[in-house]
Amino acid sequence: MRNILVIDDDEIIQNVLDKVLTKEGFHIELAGNGKEGLSQIEKMAYDLVITDLMMPYANGFEIISRLKKHPNTANAAIIVISSITNEDSIMDGFKLGIDEYVRKPIIIGELVMRIKKLLSPRT
Amino acid sequence: MFESPYSFENLDVGQNPAWLNWFLSLPLVIQIAVVSILISTCFILYIQYRIWYIRFKNYIYNKRVKYIVPILDDLITEQIVLKSNASQNQFGEPAFNIPNQIRAEFRSRKYRQIIIDRIIKYQADFTGTIGTEMRNLYMELGLDKVSFRKMKSRKWEKKIRGIRELTNMDILIADVNILPLTNNKRQELRSEARNAYIKLSKNEPFKFFDVTTEPLLKWDQIELFKTITTTENIAIPNFARWVTYSNNKSVVAFCMELIVYYKQYDAAPAVVKLLENKDHLLRAQAINCLGKLKYEQAAPQLVHIYSNQPLNCRLEILKALGRMGNKENVTFLKQEFMYSTDFDIRKNAAKSIVRNSNKQQIDLLMESCTPENQLILKHNLNPLIKY
Repeated sequence: MRNILVIDDDEIIQNVLDKVLTKEGFHIELAGNGKEGLSQIEKMAYDLVITDLMMPYANGFEIISRLKKHPNTANAAIIVISSITNEDSIMDGFKLGIDEYVRKPIIIGELVMRIKKLLSPRT
Repeated sequence: MFESPYSFENLDVGQNPAWLNWFLSLPLVIQIAVVSILISTCFILYIQYRIWYIRFKNYIYNKRVKYIVPILDDLITEQIVLKSNASQNQFGEPAFNIPNQIRAEFRSRKYRQIIIDRIIKYQADFTGTIGTEMRNLYMELGLDKVSFRKMKSRKWEKKIRGIRELTNMDILIADVNILPLTNNKRQELRSEARNAYIKLSKNEPFKFFDVTTEPLLKWDQIELFKTITTTENIAIPNFARWVTYSNNKSVVAFCMELIVYYKQYDAAPAVVKLLENKDHLLRAQAINCLGKLKYEQAAPQLVHIYSNQPLNCRLEILKALGRMGNKENVTFLKQEFMYSTDFDIRKNAAKSIVRNSNKQQIDLLMESCTPENQLILKHNLNPLIKY
């Protein structure tokens, strides 16, 4: 079973992603802020991390650079979910190594397809 | 001699209650101190009461949230998130399977505001099927009626709340209800109503420009600009209509910003007519607009009126000529650069010359100008310098 970590301070997003992705057969762990997210990655390895950019304690960019350096998440795909529309910030995210950028409001079906595509074995 | 009937000396001390007699017998300073202490004590008690009251209200609110939000979240998860065809039922039947008791609770006075806020939050986070179903749920619970009632409230902050809820849920508001509010004396309400009108009116989202007599403040303009440029499927009209006919200067100025943003070249002749306007700020903005549109046909007129204009308009003319990119204007720009005594004029003329000349022409100019002008020209040759 693929492990996914969701780091978002919005409990609605957490709740919906938890329900939908669990139904799709993934194992989901939730973190309410950057600090919690970084402590979660110490416990187990993840295949995918979904994170917000603006959160208390540690912002998304900081989290992404830490995820890329940590052995448990160094190879994990990263999806950023954010309402930020600033082009420079999005480009900064891609430079740090994110795989997908999904703008809020989210189309849940589209997000699930992106996740499946990212986690499907590449031939 | 006249004596006041209210002076303490005239009071019949014997007929007063004992505490008053005691109070009146005290020295004046002590009397003032006692009164001050009493007032302060009452004030502190009142503040304490307010604090307790607010805490109690928050406690009750949090208790209600804790009770109702999980019920709503479960309903949304089961019937919307995990089931995309929740509303594909027979016409007339309720689209959501909500037990009557819970339905009544959702509609009750105690919980309906919490439900509205939560649905709006879902709507802000999700679009597509979930977003549509949230709107359906809001309508099915009759919460739109609650928001409409708020719009009819006498309190402006309640009206704003109602408008915001309806806008977030994309519920159409009749012109007769929203249009008068776009011209309300209260700036906050006016601004909210204008934004809502643009978002909700499908055919003529800018109709309120016709009726608005109150000025569009700078902040209002920023908000409106954001709403206009980010709302999807909005019918963009030709803004020349308001540039020509509106008596509201702020509407005219704002329309010129929109003309530039939407590159409405057809509107340029209407903007040219503003060059004869008495208001120099409006004239300056018209010149700026023509420059950004690169409307070369206006260049001769700009050069012609230049000498009669105040400084702000002159600077805009120099910038506009530079933006238009017409080589014929370079002679005029050089003349201003070489002979003007005003630093800002020379600076802007130099910038426009640099935009429209090749390296050889600039080198020639550099040789023939004063050391100060050489510095100005060198400064403008830096591509990072923008103004």
